[in-house]
Amino acid sequence: MPELLAPIAGNVWKVLVAVGDKVELDDELIILEALKMETPIYCDDGGTVSEVRVKEGDSVNEGDVLVVID
Amino acid sequence: MLDILKDLIYSSGAVSLTGGNLVMWLVSFVLLYLAIKKQYEPLLLLPIAFGILIVNLPLTFLMEPEHGLVWFFYHYGIELDIIPPLIFLGLGAMIDFGPLIANPKTLLLGAGAQAGLYVTFFAAVLFGFDLQEAASIAIIGGADGPTTIFLTSKLAPHLLGATAVSAYAYMALVPIIQPPMMKLLTTEHERKIVMGKLRPVSKLQRICFPIVTAMAIMLMVPTAAPLISMLMLGNLFKESGVVERLSKAASNELMNIVTIFLGLSVGATMTAGTFLSPKVLFIFFLGLFAFIVSTGAGLIMAKVMNLFLKDKINPLIGAAGVSAVPMAARCVHKVGSEANRRNYLLMHAMGPNVAGVIGTVVAAAILLKNLG
Amino acid sequence: METDWSKVMEVFTTGIIGVFVVMILLQILTQLSTRVIDFVENLGKGEGSSPEPKSPTAPSKD
Repeated sequence: MPELLAPIAGNVWKVLVAVGDKVELDDELIILEALKMETPIYCDDGGTVSEVRVKEGDSVNEGDVLVVID
Repeated sequence: MLDILKDLIYSSGAVSLTGGNLVMWLVSFVLLYLAIKKQYEPLLLLPIAFGILIVNLPLTFLMEPEHGLVWFFYHYGIELDIIPPLIFLGLGAMIDFGPLIANPKTLLLGAGAQAGLYVTFFAAVLFGFDLQEAASIAIIGGADGPTTIFLTSKLAPHLLGATAVSAYAYMALVPIIQPPMMKLLTTEHERKIVMGKLRPVSKLQRICFPIVTAMAIMLMVPTAAPLISMLMLGNLFKESGVVERLSKAASNELMNIVTIFLGLSVGATMTAGTFLSPKVLFIFFLGLFAFIVSTGAGLIMAKVMNLFLKDKINPLIGAAGVSAVPMAARCVHKVGSEANRRNYLLMHAMGPNVAGVIGTVVAAAILLKNLG
Repeated sequence: METDWSKVMEVFTTGIIGVFVVMILLQILTQLSTRVIDFVENLGKGEGSSPEPKSPTAPSKD
């Protein structure tokens, strides 16, 4: 069950997927905001979103799990 | 009745206006436009632009020594070197040295970018500036406003307006100036290098860093003391975690207050008489040159380091060695993610970025020691 | 106005060398203090559980 990890620390700016969504490689799933800059986080491999662990406005650390994909 | 009217006209500033004043108004309006509409460093450009405007209204004597309001701001704030260190206090309370502590090699990148500064020094001398002036122009390449003002006010106060404005203006233009240089000096392959996760930094390390660094730098280059001591004190406020009030005061209220006086005073040094000479206008050209060369020097330094490193660094982060926190780091991140969308260089670039602040201060202190 | 080129060269070279020397020393100091702190913190965590010989290696002598 692949997990999408936060590559940098920051705040969750936008969550672009919901549980049950089908996602493909390179889809934008989450946009993080760090140092006043938006950083899109891309999907590493395709599947169905089984869990979204963060919501907009959350602050995350590097390595935190953002989304779980089946 | 007519006499009163005549008197009013003669005592008004309007009759004393010169063409130079009008040009300076124009400069001021352009800066106001850039600050308000384009939001280029508005916190500084706005008061600077207004400062320019008011000193170019004749007979106001705002900059009259021992007399004018703005002169007192300038004299006590900048001539006596009080404001730049206070800005550094606030900066210290905002800066996160974590990425630097996690990867101390990036200190070298902060030094690398300063090499460009000395190249500019050389170039400025070639173009006929005297040594003090050349040093003040070169420091623009360090991309650090307070340091530029600190050095210029000591070495070449007549150039203060020009060097300060070009430093702040080019800092805002980092996203335009740096990428072409980055792409020129790195290959697609190099830009794609992904850097591993930064090692975690403990609280004790964060607390020790400002203390050790302050001691080391001040022992080695005592002329750096006003800036480094305040920078590290601010950082200690932040990292110690026990004086949140002081840390907040330094980085918010105090910083905002002194920024007002800094901007206004810097703008007020730009009267038509001091500003409108070909020499001063040439500073903007040399400042840009300084910025580009420093960016290049940082990139080259990173590539040189890669020759010796097992874990290759992405040479783009060398460009963040010019200070310009955090604009340069953002810029690196952006260019890096264009080459490889899974490349997140932001935190890696913050290391050399804050190292650049230290490097610029050290470079300025050495220039001051040699030329002051 | 005559330019004193020997002074220019002096400022140029001492500047570049100076900045690098200071920054390299700073790097060594930072690495050193990081090692020391790591060592101290490891000691505090749990003696004996993972001793991990963290004896200072190469850049410790200076």
